[in-house]
Amino acid sequence: MLSPIERLNKVFNRETVDRPPCICPGGMMNMVTTELIEEVGIKFPEAHMNAEMMADLAAAVYEKGCFENYGVPFCMTIEAEDFGAKVDMGTNIYEPHVVEYIIDSVKEWEKIPKIQFQQGRGKTVIDAIKLLKAKGSDVPIIGNLTGPISTASSIMEPVVFYKELRKSNTAAHEFMNFVTEELILFAKKQIEAGADIIAISDPSGTGEILGPKLFEEFAVKYINRIIDAVHQENIGTIVHICGGMKKVYPEANKIRANVLSFDSIVSMKEARENLSDRLLMGNVSTYAIEFGEPQKIAELTQKCVKDGVNIISPACGLGMKSSLKNVKSMIESLTKGDAVIDA
Amino acid sequence: MSVSKEELIKRLSDGVVNMEEEDVIEVVNEYLEAGYPAFDAIMEGLVDGMNRASQLYEEEEYFVTDVLLCSDAMYEGLSVLRPHLPASEAEKVKPKGIIGVVEGDTHDIGKNLVKIMLETAGFDMVDLGRDVPLQSFVDKAKEENASFVCMSTLMTTTMGGMKTVVELLREAGIREQVKVVIGGGPISKKYADTIGADGYSPNAVEAVKLVKNLLDIA
Repeated sequence: MLSPIERLNKVFNRETVDRPPCICPGGMMNMVTTELIEEVGIKFPEAHMNAEMMADLAAAVYEKGCFENYGVPFCMTIEAEDFGAKVDMGTNIYEPHVVEYIIDSVKEWEKIPKIQFQQGRGKTVIDAIKLLKAKGSDVPIIGNLTGPISTASSIMEPVVFYKELRKSNTAAHEFMNFVTEELILFAKKQIEAGADIIAISDPSGTGEILGPKLFEEFAVKYINRIIDAVHQENIGTIVHICGGMKKVYPEANKIRANVLSFDSIVSMKEARENLSDRLLMGNVSTYAIEFGEPQKIAELTQKCVKDGVNIISPACGLGMKSSLKNVKSMIESLTKGDAVIDA
Repeated sequence: MSVSKEELIKRLSDGVVNMEEEDVIEVVNEYLEAGYPAFDAIMEGLVDGMNRASQLYEEEEYFVTDVLLCSDAMYEGLSVLRPHLPASEAEKVKPKGIIGVVEGDTHDIGKNLVKIMLETAGFDMVDLGRDVPLQSFVDKAKEENASFVCMSTLMTTTMGGMKTVVELLREAGIREQVKVVIGGGPISKKYADTIGADGYSPNAVEAVKLVKNLLDIA
């Protein structure tokens, strides 16, 4: 019997496994639910700011049989906040979100402070990874980054940001460059602390919003720069892109991550046809996991396996109100079933 | 020699489609100097251009960033032309809509697109922004005597708020006067029916058709 980390590593190395792993990375792809929080008695808004609570909650996700990984953090506001944006920590139901930006135009990027990793919530994440690492277990630790476009559009008004990609193209690249360098630093700190894999989610950098040209010019380019830096440390990468992919498969194929993960509106069968030799992760409907029945979720899980998905995961993380019973039905369908793949 | 009105109007429409904000302002000034009526420049020039842009968006030739830049060009032109509208046009009451992203969610790109398209189609939109407290939809609808309320969310965690707004509208006794339309990632026609909303739209272009249908506007 493979340990979770062995199984995931084998998939990353394209070796045969007994069944696909079932993971949920964290970050944008949140895997914490209200029921879980209540069961372990941790207040969610505090877990975003306290390394012990963050680590305990991440460990609970695995220990309660939800997913075969640890992952931190549970939101995508860490980087934005450490860059100076104001964040509302949310509640046990709502996730944290940015409420105040720090610049009005990409041209003002030089005003943004660098991330201070000795303090702030970046440090919380790093400390939480160290605590998880200290457990010395067989569970892979996934460190998460908010993608460069999503980070950039969290520290200024997204509509202005999107327009300035073209209107102030040079300054937009300078801004993206700055953000990306800081993200690379954050990734390296997470790796140093013990992260086994780095996942990058860039929900604001979709093909649907940007179109193929800007997607390649801004999303692919800067995501790849982070990936290259992470791969240099011999650490695997997962990249999650939201939205439909039809218009941008060729561009997405240029993303050099080990694993690509997509939204539930993407047909994995179609993704498999378009990205024939890529490792794919996904994409059991987040909506179905929150509002559907276990039987339906099991069917969706099996369909992903059949469509050629290498790693099973909720499409866009979990809705906070998803029941543990529903969440567990994904992994149960894999361990009970006879889903064997050649990764 | 002065340029014909038709030619200027065509250049306005093209300027919007091509996202050329400065061109649009230049042409608008030339148009006004020639003494042509502002109303035609808006409807046949700017709005026509925006409609062409939304057509391109529907055909997936244009993407969100393109539409945002087109709308910038349109709004720039509008702000110059509006003061030149005759009082009868300027004061004409347009059907009013309230729009916003429900509490707990800050994803507002989709909402912004819907607002742009509805404004282009001639509706008077009151934008409450994002992360909007649910009661605000009701209070604003009442205050503005709105004909419809548009709500969006990208997250399953926050979609329940839409149901609450429908209930609050009912409690406030104005549910019958306002149509409720919803949209966003996890939203579906089925969900709209379940919570008693009047309609669901999968995108911004459809939203215009939906609202026109519900309000019985050709």
